Amino acid sequence: MNGSLLPLLLRRLSLRHARLAPGQTALLVFILALGVAVFTAVRLANRAAVSSFTHFTDTLTGQSDWIIQAPAGPLPEAVLPELRAALADLAVQIHPVVESTAAEPLAPDAPAEKRFGRRTYTLLGVDLVAVANLAAQQAAADPFFRARAAADTPATPAGFFDLFGAEPLAWASPRLTSPLPESLELIIQDRPVRLRLAGPIPRAPDGPVAPPNLLVLDLPRLQELVGRAGRVDRVEFVLEAGPTLENRRAELGRRLEQLAAPAPGEAARWLVSTPGARRDTAATMTQAFRLNLTVLSLIALLVGLYLVFQALDGAVVRRRAEIAVLRSLGVDAAVIRRAWLAEAALLGLLGGALGLLLGWAGAQVAVRAVGKTVNALYYTTTVDAAGLAWGEAALSLAAGVVASVLAGWAPARAAASTPPAQVLVRGAPGAIGGRWLRSPALAAGVLALGVVLSRLPPLDLGGGTRFPLAGHIAAFCGILGGGMLAALALPVLGRALRPLAVRGAPWRVALGHLARPSGRHRLAAAALVCAIGMAAGMAILVASFEKSVRTWVQTALQSDLYLSSSGAQSASTDNHIAPATWRALAAHPAVAHASVFSAYPLTLEGKPTTLGGGDLADQAGRGGFLWVDGPPAPETLDPAHNAGLALVSESFSDRFRIRRGDTLTVPTPGGSQTLRVAAVFADYGNERGTVLVDRMHTVRWFADDHATSLALDLAPGASAETVRAELLAAHPGLAIFTNAALRVEVLRVFRQTFSITYALQGIGLAVAVVGLALSLASVLLDRRDELTTLRALGFRRGEIAHATAVEGGVLALCAALAGIALSFALGWLLIHVINKQSFGWTLAFAVPGAQLAALGALVVATGVGVSHLVGRWGADLPSDREE
Amino acid sequence: MRALVSLLFVGFGLAALAPAARGQEIPALTTDGFAVPRPDPVFAFPRDHGAHLDYKIEWWYLTGHLYADEGPVPRRFGFQATFFRSAAPRSVAASPGPTAFGHDQIYLAHMALIDVSTGHFLHQERLNRAGWDATASTTTLDVRNGDWSLALADPAAMSGAETLTLVGGIRADARFALTLVPKKPLVRFGAGGYSRKGTAPTAASYYLTFPRLAATGTLTLDGRALRVTGEAWMDHEYSSSQLDQNQVGWDWLSAQLDDGRELMFYRLRTTDGGTDPASTLTWVDRDGRTSTAPFRWEPLTTWKSPHTGAIYPQRIRLTTTDPATGAEAVFLVEPFHPDQELGGSLGGVTYWEGACRILSPAGASLGAAYLELTGYDRAVEALR
Repeated sequence: MNGSLLPLLLRRLSLRHARLAPGQTALLVFILALGVAVFTAVRLANRAAVSSFTHFTDTLTGQSDWIIQAPAGPLPEAVLPELRAALADLAVQIHPVVESTAAEPLAPDAPAEKRFGRRTYTLLGVDLVAVANLAAQQAAADPFFRARAAADTPATPAGFFDLFGAEPLAWASPRLTSPLPESLELIIQDRPVRLRLAGPIPRAPDGPVAPPNLLVLDLPRLQELVGRAGRVDRVEFVLEAGPTLENRRAELGRRLEQLAAPAPGEAARWLVSTPGARRDTAATMTQAFRLNLTVLSLIALLVGLYLVFQALDGAVVRRRAEIAVLRSLGVDAAVIRRAWLAEAALLGLLGGALGLLLGWAGAQVAVRAVGKTVNALYYTTTVDAAGLAWGEAALSLAAGVVASVLAGWAPARAAASTPPAQVLVRGAPGAIGGRWLRSPALAAGVLALGVVLSRLPPLDLGGGTRFPLAGHIAAFCGILGGGMLAALALPVLGRALRPLAVRGAPWRVALGHLARPSGRHRLAAAALVCAIGMAAGMAILVASFEKSVRTWVQTALQSDLYLSSSGAQSASTDNHIAPATWRALAAHPAVAHASVFSAYPLTLEGKPTTLGGGDLADQAGRGGFLWVDGPPAPETLDPAHNAGLALVSESFSDRFRIRRGDTLTVPTPGGSQTLRVAAVFADYGNERGTVLVDRMHTVRWFADDHATSLALDLAPGASAETVRAELLAAHPGLAIFTNAALRVEVLRVFRQTFSITYALQGIGLAVAVVGLALSLASVLLDRRDELTTLRALGFRRGEIAHATAVEGGVLALCAALAGIALSFALGWLLIHVINKQSFGWTLAFAVPGAQLAALGALVVATGVGVSHLVGRWGADLPSDREE
Repeated sequence: MRALVSLLFVGFGLAALAPAARGQEIPALTTDGFAVPRPDPVFAFPRDHGAHLDYKIEWWYLTGHLYADEGPVPRRFGFQATFFRSAAPRSVAASPGPTAFGHDQIYLAHMALIDVSTGHFLHQERLNRAGWDATASTTTLDVRNGDWSLALADPAAMSGAETLTLVGGIRADARFALTLVPKKPLVRFGAGGYSRKGTAPTAASYYLTFPRLAATGTLTLDGRALRVTGEAWMDHEYSSSQLDQNQVGWDWLSAQLDDGRELMFYRLRTTDGGTDPASTLTWVDRDGRTSTAPFRWEPLTTWKSPHTGAIYPQRIRLTTTDPATGAEAVFLVEPFHPDQELGGSLGGVTYWEGACRILSPAGASLGAAYLELTGYDRAVEALR
């Protein structure tokens, strides 16, 4: 047979059926679309959250050739003349940079949850005079300053010397608002500051537009505002244009490395990198998190895949007569197979396209959730609109088509193998659909593979990021194996429930079917198990997480009041409390004791982490540590004797493979410090890990007395609320929490971090329930003859609906039981393998019993309800109609 | 008389302008609070080679002609290296003590190089605040802007024993490191270094010049290092207000004649197209003694800049009196190439500054020169 038959077959066979049953086709497309949409939304949201990490200076410089940054703390200004002298022959511009963050102020009476939704700004301090020398700036259409015409009044914005006036000026992104406001009120460090906006940040031709949350200030002005006089956060190098640029770039890199070379026993003076490397580091930091989300989003697609298989398989069975006629007319098996695959691909394409639209819309919502998590765990990002690239669109369409063709593979083969002769024995049972679902050995094998995989170590992605690939495959095996077991359990359950047959004819009919379940029943059960297992597994993970965090919060939070800069919103924001401010607070008459904590970002082995200075004795004295490996010897807590000793968090220990008793070398501006790890503690606040020493030491090493946060114990009789109100009135730039409020706040942030996983679970469940309805409809269509017989025997419509409801309800019950049983294994896998390997947090296993029971009940109830509706619809099917 | 600093603050000098006439008393300060040059100055060196922060503007201005010995005919270059200093308006609060990022002084620098054989002209400007990457010593000659610098080899060198080192360049395309040794003692233009620039009592500058410096060093062009020798001219001038309200710009010429004498000429152009009476032509004899002479300045041709549209005089006939003979002397000033215009976004002022040859009316070569033409693009506001 020639190939031109294919379009004809498609038109007469596939499209005709689609026309005859538009609802069913639409439902199938919609299910596929949902799967693709979830996958697409998560991918887009991930990308937007990460791409919003910008190397901000590029906006100004075009692109720096090299960047140097101290491994910990800022660089002293004294390195600048040294660099100029050492690089005099390389024709290079040297641009020091100070970078900090600020937040919109919060009204004192605003609810606490408003605190974390506020806009965070990145403050970039560059020498605005020297920046004018950059080729990128000279090409800018609208530079930082405009020559003041004679007719201008002195108040004309951004006259050159206004830069040095009493009022701090800032340049804002044209994307902030249009037009730009006159000024912005911000919390910088611990103070409210009003910045007058001088104009938009100039944009080089072809250069990037400044991201909306970027503010540019003159460097010395920002130094003053953030208390960093005499110090810069990094230095960027831009080579002058000219011949041999590549050679000079390489030579400059070599020279910077040489200059950074450490004295014996010391860490390198600075780390040399490029803007690209900085972006990569940011991307790597969140890679595990993003991969985990992507894998989770695939679950919905997986459930969709089950259902497409189900639907296509059903269609093959129903149209078997038609196919047999075609075969006897001499149509080649290969053509029939191609026609079925083409139909599957077409479905996939439609589902993919619709999923793309839904996914894009979903991404606009999801990006906020992802952005919040990235903000809380990693670094400051802006919530950017999730854009849609051609590549992403193609990937979504491909996901739809591949899933659909994959699911259609076996049905297409079944269709092609339909013998022409079969037309004569119409009605013979087709043993089609999930033969593999009937094999206990296969199910056991898949589950055993999962167990083996769960023992494997994670994949090292570099930069301190690990991805539990084997763990994820193990989870997949679990879902698959669990689904197969449920399919096997279906007839057992059907037989076990046989005593209920006495309740009437509908029960007898339903249980009879279940005792000999078709492949279709088994598939529906497997798909439901997959969705329920994953949702319940995630619920166990979140409950375990919450329980651990709750314990940690109760242990770690013992003081009456907690203070930080109101601008501080996450681990990544750079907002501190000035020494004068925290000393004044500590000296307040109502304060009995003040515990000061300072945190410094640190780069160890090229991986970002944190060095903290705190009052160890005080915290340990209140039982404020949860020891993973401890407690430490008493001298560790005594500032007079604990020089050279450190506590490290569990995440740190995992990321850097450093255990109790090991030593590590920490670079500081005051020289490298070799520290022995005295104990390992649990810390759920920071995935990058923390090295903790007595604050006395960090004050000396960093020559810095700023506080990141402050915990106050009040004198007996003082009311926390009263003192809070009083301190807040005196220091409007501070965020002050009472103990109770902070505990609530921590848990709220924790739940917010997991908000996106809830959404993914919900969608997976919805797909599975819709799938159940589709399966039952398919089953009823397969049994059209039987329905006719039942009607002829006097079965009423209600009775048929009743029978179908029992059938669906038992199926859902079976899936719910198996799914919840499976969720224990998945929960264990998520907690002890996937989470531990990705983030290094030890969590206590907790089962949210009520939540799981509710989930099971909901699934069964929905299953019964949906099946009843399908039964009513099936009862009305005319016996002679095709489908 | 030399160039400009308009920087980015074109117009702030307007306040300095007091309606005044010849013979008026010289105020101690300009109305915007800067020191005013006074007659009969007493200079002390090396201190007065350094910066004078009480005055609003100051520059160290080098131009010269260099020859690279390669091939049968030496390859000829002209160069310009200028370091400007400009004080912030007094209305701006002073920087709090020494700082890496000051704002009391702003430094601008211009570098230019022309390859006479090809006409290839390179130039670059650079702006920096006083601080870690730009400074000027107030005790000796030591001016720096990024990786460009001009300094005394021996910071304590006595007058007459100076050796200067200049490091400059244009992006990564060209780089020059020159040692400059005066062939003649320092010349003080005007009345002992007090140079009048207009009728207002504040319109004057202190004007010190090395009219002929022997230059040796290296010129690296397109990655190739060339040994170069030649002659240069250096002006050091400082003031607080240079132009009157009715002046639009100036033409300035420094000529090094083959007979060992130099000519320094400036003509202040008025808004009505005339020449301000403060315009001057000064001869420097072989021993460095100066004398002024009457002059006639006749542009013969013009060149329209394709970059800015400004129209500059090009071939110029300069007629004066030779002080040695008392006879009329006629010189033709002829740029090696027309396009030596410096259009800068940082300084905000476009001007023409170029290497020229000096010819007799018959076409015989008499020497080399640098010609500066300002205010042809628009009036030079900053120096009023």
